[in-house]
Amino acid sequence: MSHPPDPVYRHARREAAIILLVWLASTVYSCIYSYLFGYIRTGRPLGPADVHPILGMPSWVFWGIMVPWAICTVFTFWFAGWYMADDDLGSDHAAELETDIREGGLS
Amino acid sequence: MRPDGTRHAEFATLIALVVFTLISLGLGVVANFAAQKRLGFLRKYFLGNRTLGAFAVALTAAVMSGGTFMGFPSLVYKFGWVVALWIASYMVAPLTVLGVLGKRIGQLSRRTGAITLPDLLRERYGSPALGLLTSSLVIFFLTCNLVAQFKAGGVIMKYILPSESVNLFVSENTPATADMGYYLGLAIFTATVVAYTTYGGFLAAVWTDVFQSIIMAVGVVILFPLAWHASGGLEHATSVGMKMVGPGFAFGPGAGRAFHPIGLAISFFFMWAITGMGQPSTMVRLMAFRDSKTLRYSILYLSIYNIIIYIPLIFIFVAARSILPHLAKSDDVMPQLVLTLANPYVAGLILAAPYGAVMSTVSGWLLIISSGLVRDLYQRFLRPTASEREIARASYAATVAIGLLVAIVALRPPEFLQLIVVFASSGMAAAFLVPALMGCFWRRATARGALAAMVSGAVVTLALYVVGTALARSGFDQGIGPPPSKDSPFGAYYLLGFDPCVWGLVASLAAGVLGSLLSPPPDPARVSLLFDVQGADAPAPATIDLHPELGQALE
Repeated sequence: MSHPPDPVYRHARREAAIILLVWLASTVYSCIYSYLFGYIRTGRPLGPADVHPILGMPSWVFWGIMVPWAICTVFTFWFAGWYMADDDLGSDHAAELETDIREGGLS
Repeated sequence: MRPDGTRHAEFATLIALVVFTLISLGLGVVANFAAQKRLGFLRKYFLGNRTLGAFAVALTAAVMSGGTFMGFPSLVYKFGWVVALWIASYMVAPLTVLGVLGKRIGQLSRRTGAITLPDLLRERYGSPALGLLTSSLVIFFLTCNLVAQFKAGGVIMKYILPSESVNLFVSENTPATADMGYYLGLAIFTATVVAYTTYGGFLAAVWTDVFQSIIMAVGVVILFPLAWHASGGLEHATSVGMKMVGPGFAFGPGAGRAFHPIGLAISFFFMWAITGMGQPSTMVRLMAFRDSKTLRYSILYLSIYNIIIYIPLIFIFVAARSILPHLAKSDDVMPQLVLTLANPYVAGLILAAPYGAVMSTVSGWLLIISSGLVRDLYQRFLRPTASEREIARASYAATVAIGLLVAIVALRPPEFLQLIVVFASSGMAAAFLVPALMGCFWRRATARGALAAMVSGAVVTLALYVVGTALARSGFDQGIGPPPSKDSPFGAYYLLGFDPCVWGLVASLAAGVLGSLLSPPPDPARVSLLFDVQGADAPAPATIDLHPELGQALE
């Protein structure tokens, strides 16, 4: 007798894929932006004149970290608030496992 | 003010913290009474009967620890703005940590009846060896982590205790090098946290966690404007920091040394957002939440909470550079800043925040270790027929014993709290994340593949820390990451500039996939039970192990 794939499994797989894509996008953007505009490296010395403060923080921190943080928070609200499915996770077999452990003994 | 320039708390600060501690103990007592109404000791003591609400899941999964309030501020103070990039993956961490595995772990733990992580992996893959290995690794890594947390608790209490109370324990025979304030602080911390955790179990840990998380948020919200005002604003603080320690205070890769080069920046997007998914403490929460609606709301709450906590912490400790420019030990910056800025009663409340972070972390981890010992070793391998009463006594004894053992080790604690936290977190993620991911989403995953993934991830991470420590002991400085310390030469080896967590995860993934493909396919009945639609009367996997005839209908 074959059973169709569980809907919780299908929903969770789709949601996990989207989340991992968002993680990848935030990683790529923040690291590349910060490296290009906020890192001292060979041939690119930075000093007080390069801070360009926005709300008191260096501009690379604002654009490379705070802005994507805000965007990710908005996305999180949409994703968790509206997109994720409410699935029934099923009944708890903890008592059954307890019984199985006792029945199975040390075998 | 002490001769070395550091400040000591006043009596009022101690009163505030005593009140805080008493409330935590009280919650432990209430949790114990609440849990008595429910059946099944292990399920209620270690998992709270899967009744966690969204607020509790969010605040207890906030991945805050002694590192958050002691180690992280220390890094910001020392290396400057680049530490904002170090923590930046918290922007997606609520989604990744709770959203990727949450639903499936919630479902699989119900279908298998699992109440611990070793339980879950053992039942998912049908492998006692995997359960045993998981228990052993959880105990090893969490014990390392607990030592760092106990140190943090002892250090905070040391600053809060009045000098007179410490002097009561000093005699002519006390060695000049003995730090009696720390020892006394450690003793008080240990007694408190072990008492309420042992008595109240999982619900006590969760309720105190929630209470303490709220206090932490209040502490940060109070401290932020005080630090802002005292420093003359972030722009001024940045300018002062650059004058003191160089332009690296405002830019990557950090002040004084290449603390966070781009390879490590990429690594730390794995570190918090991805390794957070593989922490046993997180997975236990994912087994304990009430339903999927609870999970959704907990992601929302955690997202808000991270903004309230982490972004202000960056600002506060950048500001600290201009408020406390000459601290001898950067690990002391949090208590020193609070004692400098706030009046004694407010200082007590704010210092309760890091103390609460440490307490709540310790309580959760103590229970995970004791559950590993009691459920996964004692009950599974020694006394399967033990009565509820016997299991309860074993659980209480295990929780107390672990707390005391860790406190003894913490009498001579290592430096760089945050590095130990990072080491243990990396190790656990490298060991457990891939087996959990494969178990949740890949039907072809096998027990051998999961074992290979677990061993490879743990071994690669450990090996890179062993090499890093050996290099540090020989006096070799890789020039990136935190500097090696003469007192505690414990460090990571950054192969090709990446943190060990990345290599551990890569090795674990490769071994898990190869190991699964090279081993025989898993039992189709077990896979169907965990991946397909099942009737309400479908058995748990352990039942079809005992009665294979039940599994034939599922194939």
